[in-house]
Amino acid sequence: MKLKIAIYWGAACGGCDVAILDTHEKILDIAAAADILLWPVAMDFKYADIRRLEDGYLDVAFFSGAIRNSENEEIARLLRRKAKTMIALGSCAHTGGIPGLANMYGRDEILDRVYRSSESTVNPEGIVPEERYMAGTDEELELPRFYNNVRPLDQVVDVDYYIPGCPPASMQIYSAIGLIADDMLPKKGSVIGAGDRALCDECARKKGEKTINRIYRSHEKVPEPETCFLEQGFICLGPATRSGCGSRCIKSVIPCRGCYGPLDDVKDQGIKMLGAIASVLEPKDEKSINAILDTIVDPLRTVHRFSLAASILRRKKA
Amino acid sequence: MKRIAIDPITRLEGHGKIVIFLNEQGQVDNAFLQIPELRGFEKFVEGLPVEEIPRVVTRICGV
Repeated sequence: MKLKIAIYWGAACGGCDVAILDTHEKILDIAAAADILLWPVAMDFKYADIRRLEDGYLDVAFFSGAIRNSENEEIARLLRRKAKTMIALGSCAHTGGIPGLANMYGRDEILDRVYRSSESTVNPEGIVPEERYMAGTDEELELPRFYNNVRPLDQVVDVDYYIPGCPPASMQIYSAIGLIADDMLPKKGSVIGAGDRALCDECARKKGEKTINRIYRSHEKVPEPETCFLEQGFICLGPATRSGCGSRCIKSVIPCRGCYGPLDDVKDQGIKMLGAIASVLEPKDEKSINAILDTIVDPLRTVHRFSLAASILRRKKA
Repeated sequence: MKRIAIDPITRLEGHGKIVIFLNEQGQVDNAFLQIPELRGFEKFVEGLPVEEIPRVVTRICGV
């Protein structure tokens, strides 16, 4: 029997949806194995179509994107009710992703910058979106509530599996769908469609004794082509990141920023990375160590690039 | 006053909804396109090292 699936996005860019399409001709295998009952980017189903279904009718819901507003949360809860298996697809649903960087700020700071103070904005009346707006005497419009912070999917609903990555590698999505179709899913809560080692363990760059005397930014030095980035002083999140991406950034001569998230036994990816940096510094006295660490521009958004909303810091204090 | 909602609008990147109000004669009185999403890149890229901006803003739209 064909699987009944829904594919949905919360606060997302659509890159996860495109990663599904980037399975190329294998999308035909997916179409043969599954009936798709919701997929806004590619098909014309409405929320009302999902609300009409019996609870548990869907076999699987793939949810990409973070929970940024009340609509994201409402549809996450709706799909959780309608689906037997809920899968967080991609970094945003898994760990908050890039939208989670907004957790450095509160709701009002963001709305003010976007709608009032940005240099390209003309808004003399200072209008910001409102949840309710009366367009006429009886023409009421509603918008979702923009929350004070961003949450990954599992801070809102029960999540059965995670497919990490920004975006997830297409063939990893394909293999994960294979696990579902073949009824071979591992235990609930597992990360699927990824490796179980650190990216460093699969990286082709040569690793020797790491002793760093200074941190380099990408414009300060041309990276040597075959040596570990971290060993050369470039921050690379490989030691703190799950493998499974195929080293796609590193192969493009760009250090890892951690989109595949932490390994199973790691609670906080960013803190794991800070530990990795500390362990490769050559100086052993505190003053010299701090002098090097102080040269890391924006450490928070470096080590928590994709994971701030899932970290132990999680968000700006209200 | 009859209200018709097309929610979500589909086959595009991003979230959108269309709300149409009809008058007593069944004619369109008003129609609104609503964009019920915001992530706030304008704010949260502030202060990022400039060389990191391209790999962050590519996540505005991945389609």
